[in-house]
Amino acid sequence: MSEFISQPVVWVFLTLAVYFLSQLLHIRLKWVLTSPILITILILILVLVLFNIEFEVYNTGGKYISFFLGPSVVALGVLFYENYEEIKNNIKPFLIAVTLGGLTSVFSVVFILSLLHSPDYLIRSLIPKSVTTPIAIEISKSISGLPSVTAGVVITVGIFGNAFGFYILKFLGIKSKSAIGSALGTASHGIGTARALEESEISGIYSGLALCVNGCLTALLLPYLITWISII
Amino acid sequence: MLKSLCYIFLFLILGEFIKYLFNIPIAGNIFGMVLIFLALKTKLIKLSTVKPASDKLLKYMVLFFVPYGVGLMVHFDVLKEHWLSIILVVIASTVITLYVTAFTQQRLEKK
Repeated sequence: MSEFISQPVVWVFLTLAVYFLSQLLHIRLKWVLTSPILITILILILVLVLFNIEFEVYNTGGKYISFFLGPSVVALGVLFYENYEEIKNNIKPFLIAVTLGGLTSVFSVVFILSLLHSPDYLIRSLIPKSVTTPIAIEISKSISGLPSVTAGVVITVGIFGNAFGFYILKFLGIKSKSAIGSALGTASHGIGTARALEESEISGIYSGLALCVNGCLTALLLPYLITWISII
Repeated sequence: MLKSLCYIFLFLILGEFIKYLFNIPIAGNIFGMVLIFLALKTKLIKLSTVKPASDKLLKYMVLFFVPYGVGLMVHFDVLKEHWLSIILVVIASTVITLYVTAFTQQRLEKK
């Protein structure tokens, strides 16, 4: 049996099948906690733990799926271009807001975790928490964090932003639809953008663009920023 | 579809090559993303050339990071030890980031 389950195709199939079924469930229930990504990961972990299967065995197949993250990040550049064309005339306030927001995210994580005396590897894993998952994974790798912990936290941040972000912003007195979009995209990436799209088209466009800009800026600056932060 | 997929991989390889050439601590696919944006912006390539493959990749992007999420099972001990700090950071940092971004943009737009 152990020879059979070490075949990559078993795990590729299981991942696809569980993801497909989770999507069906989500379409039925439409509840933020039934987000397909969350349910898929939980079910797969449960299966592996129940049958006492190592992650390395799962990843013989899993790596064929995560391989496509590389080209997907390139595809984000195309999405960026499409959205960019739509907001050209409001680009300055947008860029300033997203840059400030992205820096706020990085520094607030470092500040809070330092106060709590968290270990260095945890800080490195959590710094890219607001960036879209595929980019966050790359950032985590390049600054010696734990990419899987990063992925888990990033997804959690997305779900939190999706569920509460809009109400938090309304409560804090934000009225501009474009500002709400940029904030959801900057703070809670693609999962937050899904919520922005539900609010209005304009929020969705700003949110999609914000997730690209924040991902790109954080990826380009963080490896240098982190050596600077650790000097202090 | 095949042509657009070739383009996406071409830019991915270009990005990896830049990383390799200059030995930069940034992932190659990030450079690929920046390069394809610049190529579209300067009309070097057309949106319709790359859109079929990029739309499909973006549609299934969530599926592609499932294995990393499953990899979390290797780090249960990290979660067990630090769950409170993690939850605190997720909530506090996300709320601050949301507000700073939205407030800044709303302020600047009104001018």
